[in-house]
Amino acid sequence: MEQTSESPQKTFTCQLCGLCSPFTYYGQKPPNTRAIVLLEECFVTKDPFSPDKEKFLVLGSTCSLCSKCVCVGSDCSLFYTKRFCMSCVNKHLDQFPRQIQAELAKKKQSSKAAVS
Amino acid sequence: MDSDRRRDSRSWDWDSPQCRARLDEIFFREQDYIQAGSPEHKEFWAFFDRFQRFKTKRDMAGPGASRGEDSGRTGSGKVDLGLPKDYDARYRINVSVCSRDIEERLGKSEHRSRQRSSGPGSQEVSDCRLALLHFLDFSQRQSFGKLAKLRREQKNLPIFQYRDRLVELVRRHPVVVVAGDTGCGKSTQVPQYLLSAGFTQVACTQPRRIACISLAKRVSFESLNQYGSKVGYQIRFETTRTTATKLLFLTEGLLLRQIQQDRTLAQYQVVIVDEVHERHLHCDFLLGVLRSLLADRPDLRLILMSATINIKLFSNYFSSAPVLQVPGRLFPIQVIYQPIPPEEQPSRSEKMDPRPYLRILQGIDQRYPPEERGDLLLFLSGVAEISTIQEACQIYATHTRRWIVLPLHSTLSLVQQDKVFDIAPPGVRKCIISTNIAETSVTIDGVRFVVDSGKVKEMSFDPKAKMQRLQEFWISRASSEQRKGRAGRTGPGVCYRLYAESDYDAFAPYPVPEIHRVALDSLILQMKSMSLGDPLSFVFIDPPPTASIQTAVTYLKDQGALDNRSELTSIGSLLAQLPVDVVIGKMLVLGSLFNLVEPVLTVAAALSVQSPFLRSSQHNPDCATARQPLHSNQGDPFTLLNTFNAWVEVKGERGGGSRKWCRRRGLEEQRLYEMVNLRRQFKDLLKSHSLLESEDSAPSGGDRGQRRERLTERRKLHQLKRDHEQQEGSKRKVLRLEEGQDGEFSSGSDTEETGRKKKDKEGSGQNMDIQEVKFKLRHNVSRLQEAVSISQDLSSRQQALLKLLLCRGLYPQLALPDEHNTTRKDSEQVFHTKNKQGVVIHPTSVFASDPEVLHVPEDDTGEMGPDRKDSSRHQLLAFVTLLETNRPYLSNCVRVPALQALLLVANSVDTNADCTRLVVDGWLELELREPEEALKVLSTALSLRAEWERLLLAQLGQSSAQGVSRKVMEKLSEGLVRFLLYTEVTYSLRRLAAFQTQNLYVGPQPDSELSRTEAPDLSLLFPGAEAKPDPIKGGLRVTSFFTYNCLADSKDLYSECLRTFWTCPNCGLYMPLTPLERMHHEASCRPAGEQQPDEEPESVKSSSSSASSLTRVYHCDVCNEDLNLTSTEILKHKRQHMYTAK
Ligand SMILES: [Zn+2]
Ligand SMILES: [Zn+2]
Repeated sequence: MEQTSESPQKTFTCQLCGLCSPFTYYGQKPPNTRAIVLLEECFVTKDPFSPDKEKFLVLGSTCSLCSKCVCVGSDCSLFYTKRFCMSCVNKHLDQFPRQIQAELAKKKQSSKAAVS
Repeated sequence: MDSDRRRDSRSWDWDSPQCRARLDEIFFREQDYIQAGSPEHKEFWAFFDRFQRFKTKRDMAGPGASRGEDSGRTGSGKVDLGLPKDYDARYRINVSVCSRDIEERLGKSEHRSRQRSSGPGSQEVSDCRLALLHFLDFSQRQSFGKLAKLRREQKNLPIFQYRDRLVELVRRHPVVVVAGDTGCGKSTQVPQYLLSAGFTQVACTQPRRIACISLAKRVSFESLNQYGSKVGYQIRFETTRTTATKLLFLTEGLLLRQIQQDRTLAQYQVVIVDEVHERHLHCDFLLGVLRSLLADRPDLRLILMSATINIKLFSNYFSSAPVLQVPGRLFPIQVIYQPIPPEEQPSRSEKMDPRPYLRILQGIDQRYPPEERGDLLLFLSGVAEISTIQEACQIYATHTRRWIVLPLHSTLSLVQQDKVFDIAPPGVRKCIISTNIAETSVTIDGVRFVVDSGKVKEMSFDPKAKMQRLQEFWISRASSEQRKGRAGRTGPGVCYRLYAESDYDAFAPYPVPEIHRVALDSLILQMKSMSLGDPLSFVFIDPPPTASIQTAVTYLKDQGALDNRSELTSIGSLLAQLPVDVVIGKMLVLGSLFNLVEPVLTVAAALSVQSPFLRSSQHNPDCATARQPLHSNQGDPFTLLNTFNAWVEVKGERGGGSRKWCRRRGLEEQRLYEMVNLRRQFKDLLKSHSLLESEDSAPSGGDRGQRRERLTERRKLHQLKRDHEQQEGSKRKVLRLEEGQDGEFSSGSDTEETGRKKKDKEGSGQNMDIQEVKFKLRHNVSRLQEAVSISQDLSSRQQALLKLLLCRGLYPQLALPDEHNTTRKDSEQVFHTKNKQGVVIHPTSVFASDPEVLHVPEDDTGEMGPDRKDSSRHQLLAFVTLLETNRPYLSNCVRVPALQALLLVANSVDTNADCTRLVVDGWLELELREPEEALKVLSTALSLRAEWERLLLAQLGQSSAQGVSRKVMEKLSEGLVRFLLYTEVTYSLRRLAAFQTQNLYVGPQPDSELSRTEAPDLSLLFPGAEAKPDPIKGGLRVTSFFTYNCLADSKDLYSECLRTFWTCPNCGLYMPLTPLERMHHEASCRPAGEQQPDEEPESVKSSSSSASSLTRVYHCDVCNEDLNLTSTEILKHKRQHMYTAK
């Protein structure tokens, strides 16, 4: 083990759910992605669930409206041509297509059911 | 668009592999993110099919559904998000794929219609690209889902709440105790908290190797590191440690060895000692070492992690270190006391009564519906108990079809052990019958019911009998709670205790720590080599009994590892570095001297691991037949040697076929893999201590093509290993209801079955066994075969020498066959050791089935009286272990010729005046018929031993002469072999009775002129030895192990009647000599050719030029003059004085 202190690990933290994880890259063109381009600036790490290969995993990005750092989990954000955090989505729900509105309503209901 | 499709469908078929291959050339090229042929590629096409089906279904549902008329911008003065009007799922994906190839095909396809017929058109390319985007999105979601779940689980661990508090404590205190029960998450989380708080170079010790591996895997996974980089493990044969490693899981023993090399442990910033409550020998010792190390390393952080057992002890040991208490996460467990009624209590001689256990199974069946899942874990004390209860439960299980009965203990094959993790089919429960291995070492999920017998079998050491003892005890309250806790890991549970609550209250609070139970030889040796001072004054957390330390010191002295002042000898310091028992280490060192390294390495490795012979197949006649050719009636180490050699042979010829070969013979192949690894480690150790020459540096030659081939193979093997690691532990198979029935009893067919199933699980192409892969990566099979072929078909001479080495290594672990064994049944053969009478041979030993080879041949004996049997063929057994279970058993025995072996290895040989009566180590008496023969044997032995000792020291680099020449070594081994095989001396051999040992010695004699004048003479003949009257035994102490004429029946040392005329065959000297004088002469007067003291060239050079190499400077005290004389001349000179003195 070498004793040299590396620069502290950069950590991504979702401002909504608190999910925390080190990231290795921020931007639209993670290394080794070849023909793949991200359509937003993302916090990216190596996919720990496909060990050995160099696969990437997007952890999250910033909300295009409020600039909050949010994870890509469906409880925290939504991508529809741009990234929106869930609070912004709810604020502007009417501008989203019907499909998305329906989906969100359905999810709300099922989570309510699960709680009660 | 529709017409397009129709036209395409004539030439384009999505299901055709050729068409798909065309797209592969565009999307999944060598340089792409996903390559054709990779697992992801396969997944993509599977996804593609699903995606197409979904699209078709949606299209049939009709268009228009995606019309977004209602996404109206109904004003309200809000920001316009600028979202597209029409909904498209594509907009929800945050990735895009574009390459020149794709763009070209999409953009210009209209103009290149000729490609239509042969290749994908723009439509296909675009379809495929869309599918790829959805696939990428899908896999991102999947992986992120796993990550989110992982983080949720981490957050839910009880220890999560204490994260900041822990970091704070560690920052402020050099030592912190973390106490938390099962399931609180301390082992996986604490190291991670420290890493993310900025600590680095963290070592975390574990009592078990397997935990090091699994924790490293888990933590590396949780911290999203690529496996093997920042989080690693290091165990005996394996390490994933690199320069980037920041967190290392390692065994306690290994950390201790690191401290041996790196006194202040400068390589670590934090040391976590996990599971300290288990109180293993190594752990207790490690704590002591760390405690004294803290003074030199004020910056070192030490964290002790423990179950909530006896926490004060640990805290106090480290000057009241702060304790962080973390609640465990156990579900409520109902405790039911069901003491066994007296009539069902097991009596000492009989088997256990299974009724109390069966009642519990019945009770569960009555009370809990089968659809409510939950398995049963039953704790018993030992293997015999397990098989008794297993048999009874199996009958019940077969009858009810609601249980699968599985045994669990460490002597089972690994495949059998592994079954406890498999899943029972619906409506059926597992009934796992286990030793205390399931209390801490093995954790099985899904257990709802625990049955606790309250008993445990524990090893203890009896210093008086020098014997290990496996005895049954009541468990402690702490163990009892631990067992109970196993029922509440995954849900509420029930614990049935087969004892009364009052029994429980009477239990000891904690188990007896190992340091109070076991022999401390290795510990004391290690302490000596770490210069920790007097073991009696070392501050242990719980000091071991003084007697056990003293016994260990005496033992190490007997073994030659410590000298008389309890300092480490050269052999001792080497032994301290070998991670094996002292006796095994000694064998290795001894073997390195002779040309027997290869077989000794194998035997040493074999004796250091569990026996590869499975107990369960012992009664299987097919296995017994198949094993027969491996047996050697020389002793168990030879059987192991044969087995290993044969296995390597099979490995070389058939590779993976060895698995089947092992199964046929009832061998646990895992043990053979362990042996081959250990063997390699021993070899490296010997090399690093220059006890073994390094092999030719040329890496096994071969031309370039062969090298490349080897390289390709290695790459392939590495890939296989990685693949295995990926899929490892992914799926658990479902047990068959019949599983338990065939289990132990017909292991042959059963394991065959398991093998087949395993293959299925591994998938079609990968028939290769992971052990085989690791083996091939680690070892060069052909080189191993070469090494092994040396030890195959040993000549009888080599065999004799090897036996002597084993015997010297194992000494003083010797057993004498009882004189009446010839008249006893095979099963009732009795043996005696110095400290324990009436021991028997373990049924697994070759001598249990073939005891005749130990008997003195009838025709050879000459009866000298009722209890004296004379023969030249007496034998002793050297043994590795003496363990008392229901009887004291010897295991791993080798037979050796008694007289020769004793004279060559014993620490104490006492004789009478004419050397016809020898007493060895104060317990064995040998009487030789002919004084003439007796003298010859003794003097040969003395000179062989002196030479052996000299060469051994030279080999260990202790004498000025560096190394040992091959010629000298061969001469010695020739001499030893001749002595072992061709000594035809008739003698009797018996154990001294207690009353005989009382007045064994003449005791100190009044100072006589004679003995004083004799002294310088002896020192000349045995350099380094101060021959003087023995202050206790009387007689003359000639060497450290040989005392002449001290036995009580001795006659006067120089009485003329003992003097007989004798002619020296070498120098022709003819004069009347006492036995002792003759021995001196013989030892010093070697044939002219041998006399060259070539081992000391310097001393020859420095001596005066006129002196011939045969003479030495001798100072005669009587003449007070320095004389230049040959040995014989010295003897003559002194005899003059002797006569004049009279
Ligand atoms: Zn979030
Ligand atoms: Zn927002």
